[in-house]
Amino acid sequence: MRILQLLSLLMDYPKTSLVEHLDDIKEIIEYSDLPLGQQLALLEFVERRGCMDLIDWQAEYDGLFERGRSLGLWLFEHVHGESRDRGQAMVELIAKYKEANLQLDRHELPDYIPLFLEFLSTQGRDNAKLWLCEVAHILALLQCRLERRGSNYSVLFDALLEFSAADIDIDEIRQQVASEKRDDSKKAIDKEWEEEEVSFGADSIDKACEQANRKPSQSQRKDLDVPLNWVGFNDYHDAAEEGAKQ
Amino acid sequence: MSHFLDKLRFFKSKQEPFAEGHGITTDQDRAWEDGYRRRWQHDKIVRSTHGVNCTGSCSWKIYVKDGLVTWETQQTDYPRTRPDLPNHEPRGCPRGASYSWYIYSANRLKYPKVRKSLLKLWRAAKQQHSDPVLAWASIVSDPEKAKAYKSKRGLGGMVRSDWNEVNEIIAASNIYTAKNYGPDRITGFSPIPAMSMVSYAAGARYLSLIGGNCLSFYDWYCDLPPASPQIWGEQTDVPESADWYNSGYIIAWGSNVPQTRTPDAHFFTEVRYKGTKTVSVTPDFSEVAKLTDEWLPAKQGTDAALAMAMGHVILKKFHLENPSEYFQEYVKQKTDFPYLVCLDESEHGLQQGRFLRASDLADNLGQENNPEWKTIALDHKGELVSPTGSIGYRWGEKGKWNIQQKDGSSGDDVDLSLSLKEQHDDLVDVVFPYFGGQKHDYDYFQHTDHTELQARKVPAKRIQLANGKSILVATVFDLTLANYGVDNGYQCENCASSFDEDKPYTPAWQEKITGLPKEQVIKIATEFADNAHKTHGRSMIIIGAAMNHWYNMDMNYRGVINMLMMCGCIGQSGGGWAHYVGQEKLRPQTGWLPLAFGLDWQRPPRQMNGTSFFYNHADQWRYEKLRMEEVVSPLANKEKWSGSIIDYNTRAERMGWLPSAPQLGMNPLDLVKQANEAGVDPKDYAVQQLKSGDLKFACEDPDNPQNFPRNLFIWRSNLLGSSGKGHEYMLRHLLGTKNGLQGKDLGESDEAKPEDVVWNDEAPEGKIDLVVTLDFRMSSTCMYSDIVLPTATWYEKDDMNTSDMHPFIHPLSKAIDPVWESRSDWEIFKGIAKRFSELTENHLGVEKDLVTVPLLHDSPGELAQPDGVKAWWKGECDLIPGKTAPNMVVVERDYPNTYKRFTSLGPLLEKLGNGGKGISWNTEEEVKFLGDLNYRHTEEGIHQGRPKIESAIDAAEVILSLAPETNGHVAVKAWEALGEFTGLDHTHLAKPKEDEKIRFRDIQAQPRKIISSPTWSGLEDEHVSYNAGYTNVHEQIPWRTVTGRQQFYQDHEWMRDFGETQCLYKPPVNLKTIEPIKGKKPNGHKEIVLNWITPHQKWGIHSTYSDNLLMLTLSRGGPIIWISEGDAKEAGIEDNDWIEAFNVNGAISARAVVSQRVPSGMSMMYHAQERIVNIPGAETTQTRGGMHNSVTRAIMKPTHMIGGYAQQAYGFNYYGTVGCNRDEFVVVRKMNKIDWLDEEQTQVEVQK
Repeated sequence: MRILQLLSLLMDYPKTSLVEHLDDIKEIIEYSDLPLGQQLALLEFVERRGCMDLIDWQAEYDGLFERGRSLGLWLFEHVHGESRDRGQAMVELIAKYKEANLQLDRHELPDYIPLFLEFLSTQGRDNAKLWLCEVAHILALLQCRLERRGSNYSVLFDALLEFSAADIDIDEIRQQVASEKRDDSKKAIDKEWEEEEVSFGADSIDKACEQANRKPSQSQRKDLDVPLNWVGFNDYHDAAEEGAKQ
Repeated sequence: MSHFLDKLRFFKSKQEPFAEGHGITTDQDRAWEDGYRRRWQHDKIVRSTHGVNCTGSCSWKIYVKDGLVTWETQQTDYPRTRPDLPNHEPRGCPRGASYSWYIYSANRLKYPKVRKSLLKLWRAAKQQHSDPVLAWASIVSDPEKAKAYKSKRGLGGMVRSDWNEVNEIIAASNIYTAKNYGPDRITGFSPIPAMSMVSYAAGARYLSLIGGNCLSFYDWYCDLPPASPQIWGEQTDVPESADWYNSGYIIAWGSNVPQTRTPDAHFFTEVRYKGTKTVSVTPDFSEVAKLTDEWLPAKQGTDAALAMAMGHVILKKFHLENPSEYFQEYVKQKTDFPYLVCLDESEHGLQQGRFLRASDLADNLGQENNPEWKTIALDHKGELVSPTGSIGYRWGEKGKWNIQQKDGSSGDDVDLSLSLKEQHDDLVDVVFPYFGGQKHDYDYFQHTDHTELQARKVPAKRIQLANGKSILVATVFDLTLANYGVDNGYQCENCASSFDEDKPYTPAWQEKITGLPKEQVIKIATEFADNAHKTHGRSMIIIGAAMNHWYNMDMNYRGVINMLMMCGCIGQSGGGWAHYVGQEKLRPQTGWLPLAFGLDWQRPPRQMNGTSFFYNHADQWRYEKLRMEEVVSPLANKEKWSGSIIDYNTRAERMGWLPSAPQLGMNPLDLVKQANEAGVDPKDYAVQQLKSGDLKFACEDPDNPQNFPRNLFIWRSNLLGSSGKGHEYMLRHLLGTKNGLQGKDLGESDEAKPEDVVWNDEAPEGKIDLVVTLDFRMSSTCMYSDIVLPTATWYEKDDMNTSDMHPFIHPLSKAIDPVWESRSDWEIFKGIAKRFSELTENHLGVEKDLVTVPLLHDSPGELAQPDGVKAWWKGECDLIPGKTAPNMVVVERDYPNTYKRFTSLGPLLEKLGNGGKGISWNTEEEVKFLGDLNYRHTEEGIHQGRPKIESAIDAAEVILSLAPETNGHVAVKAWEALGEFTGLDHTHLAKPKEDEKIRFRDIQAQPRKIISSPTWSGLEDEHVSYNAGYTNVHEQIPWRTVTGRQQFYQDHEWMRDFGETQCLYKPPVNLKTIEPIKGKKPNGHKEIVLNWITPHQKWGIHSTYSDNLLMLTLSRGGPIIWISEGDAKEAGIEDNDWIEAFNVNGAISARAVVSQRVPSGMSMMYHAQERIVNIPGAETTQTRGGMHNSVTRAIMKPTHMIGGYAQQAYGFNYYGTVGCNRDEFVVVRKMNKIDWLDEEQTQVEVQK
């Protein structure tokens, strides 16, 4: 479970205290039960970061995680976005922490991933895995986006996913991310911007009563963005997907 | 046996279906509801609002659960209005409803941040120097190091720091700057205190205590209508929105009420149910055009032509043909119509001169005190009188400053003559300038063929002056008739006797200019005046800043205000001028001033007009192509106007008209030291040095490093993202970073240089050493700053908010603690003050600082210069501080005690009293009360025994206790103080509320209505809604002008030179920003030239909310420019195409919205769409496309620099140059290649 705390530490903003303990960190990685591949990747991450000027590391961190939402380290940013449901979701997460007899001790939101990982590190391996599986698709999304940005921060998420043993088809997500409207790819952004024509009728009169005409298109749908509860939002997602297929 | 006991009396046996079998009652378990109920449970609800300069001041309930804001809903408990008046509720709009998103947004600023390149230098320097001030010096004094971080501004690379470190850098930088260059090289910009007044006060208090400048904003935003000070001596005062409901006729003139005044628009709709007619004047088919009964699509920028034509109709129909008794009495008593104006001989014939004064006449007409400031009229007996109330009566004597119709000498009642028609000595030709014949560069604005000099007949009287000369005089009324081209039966060749004649300013004449049919103009003007006549002034004009953003804004505004004055609407319930622009009404102003500007410890503060500051220091003047000869009157001496705009500004500064920042060409702390060494009084020393030329004003050499504005604080503002006219100039010269400037300066293009300002061929870049911005989100301004400090949002701090739209005072409340590392503005500046005080050791002690102060309005200084414009440096007069030049005051700065001063209420309030707008009162009692309420400091030091101002709530209580608006006892004292000036008793206006004292927790419980005070010209009571000018009209309190009346006529020399004695039509000016660039960088698409308009938007309030995805989804998700179908077709542009708009100032890339809403020739980009959202590179500049101000530049007008002249005297945010921007044109074309400029950035990232 120390590996979760370690990943939490590495995912948090890099500080002097982190740099001072790089050797301990390497040791923890080597003694973890992660597969060799992940171990080596993590070691390389620590090695390369350790060689950097801390301030450059920090600036890069700031540029990655604190600018824009696509790489935000807050779980619900990716689930709820601007929706008001985010507040309630966070309230419910705090309740979970309270159940575990833990109280927030830093000015941070409850859905901040490093904080969440620290919580999991106290919950026993099986529980931690279960929790991780629930958010695995977000972790995978972040991993793939980081890969696309060419940042080795992706290895942290790779290790997490490995730990969780979640059933995620990472290649599929990679493909999805590759075709994703990246905030910084010209054509995709251009596309995202386009106002879609809203039509209230059908293309032709004889199709006017078909159900498909009454439904918003995929990109017009807003119901996917706003599940009410944080726990089990996968189910909502699936249900919504199903609804869309009908 | 009867069955009667078998029947149940109280029960029925079983559930029966109801509603004819459709309904059935079941009793299943309803536990499922609990889940839903829990979802909407909360721990507490806190009242707050959004401090966002929207004038809404809506009340919101913030729901908090587990220390998290979960949602907000509209509160609906504003105090009810009176019977037959709709309530203020419901308020709120979708923008406010989406606010809670910001708190937890990825865009939220969470930690103090510093630009990496600077922080690296800082940490290295700290290794070398243990003293932070020396560490800072080692960075900024090394040009290479300085450039290393300045050139990275706006290009990312921020790293987290902590509060200790940032406070240390900021304090060190301020100390270094104050010590080496002077405290007036430290400047702060924060707008609209009314939206969160404690937060504003936090920064202003810190800056004022250390001697830094606070910049004005109202003029810089171009929301200040200089016409208001000119006509009324009042910054801006307007009716509350509820008063719309009292109106009988409303014209919304350039004000898009439903879109930009969303929470108040309901009054506009409701009043129509009473039968009130509403009319809109907007060039585009705007939201308000759809809402009103009639729409007048006058071409943008030509509003003055329309207003002149309407004024023409009103004068002719309601003052001459069929005079309205109400109108005639009103203009006689409440305006300057009866006052006499000298007719000056000139090479062109007789022209309008200045007001006749008592000092012109034999024995000063019996007036010993200020005779040169007492204006003269003719009473019906044909005698010259000096009626009470002119500004000469305001200062130096008591009890006669009122507008009762009385002779100032005898005290007898007078009945003034409006016209000399029946008693003239001569009917003379007076020459009026005509500007409507000027041709526009792109032929977009139409001109007429009338000559530029128009002689019109005016009845005049010959009078004998004290100096023996005899001159002709005429009344303002007769001159106004002639000015409007209304023939008063004199068979005047250049006046019209019919509305159909094409002579300036008839309805027929305006057709070509505005595009409106004359019939419609005549109809609306007649209806407007007829309603005012029948209802005694209940006709109203709601006006938007749109009309104020033109170079000749004063003509637009004066045209409209003249209509209101002619019809007796000003100061009447349901009537008047409703200019809602900027939430400028800080209702408890006099309570706030001492807190904000540290007046409790030292006076005066340094205040600077923003427009001149940015024009000057962003080196916009280096590119000035508009010559003053082009815009002055054909009657003016053109040789006098050969200088560049900056020359007139520096002259204004030296004459004491406008403030300066920095002030003098050397460190004012050193100046006092030198004077002391020489054994001379510092003021005398400065005068000597200035006269000898050894000392200059800083404005004479703005590009000298000694005069750079070294440190800049920005808080509560997105200066660079929304309000920076000349955006690209600011990037280049102030910040020294990447910019899209495309023009050549006067050196590069080899044109005439300014006359009074030192020219260096090489322009400085990066004048500012440190830019510190406080914000809760990563705005465009933050991107360009060196240090970014995370502030508390409007749900995380205690503060107060007031608006001009309603009379309540509303709190912002701390619903939750500031998240992450953010802090309230109050705590941030308190922290900086603390570190500053600690670090002063070995650098700054108790220092003497020489402060220059312009001649201030509402002080005796406003009477400084009655007799013309005189330059002391040319020997035209002596240099007398406070008279012919700015005043000079030595202020003691106790630098090591800055923190102690910051957190306690100082002793000057007891010693000097408190007040505002020219009156003051004793306030010992309130200071004692604050000591009891906030407790007093007990530890040793200068603050021992002083009331505490530790928390933001303490600060709020200081404001509330000291202000008449929130403390009835003070209100009574204030009215008493005013009564001494007017000789009338006004205390009845506040007596009923004498014991009312509003405290911070009171307004948290429910917003409270303020108490009437002499700071404002309207009343708050149960019978009338707040309306501007109400107490002037009904309490006989003078307007703060030369005549004491509302002025149609302006007589300052520079006003005459600009032909603006009277309102007239001036077309938009030619700014020459297209020719050098059009067709020079072709991309294959057709280029068209369009007028550039930047109205307020629907999906944000300025830039706030414009980066909110909820709002972006409602709009098009990024920057857009609206163009007409015709123009789009001509340029081959289709809706949603990427287009580029550019001129010499810079370039913008955005998507096109092709819409029938827009008239041809106009392009429209909503004000303040964030630079951080979806902006690709512009093809012309090869750098990221800018924002709406990238194609603008401030162009100043000398008439706004006038000072020391009654209502035309400086006041912070009251008078001064304004940042107009709508005369601008841009080249628009379709873009070829959309370059997001990401590769380069990404590559840089990868290399790192």
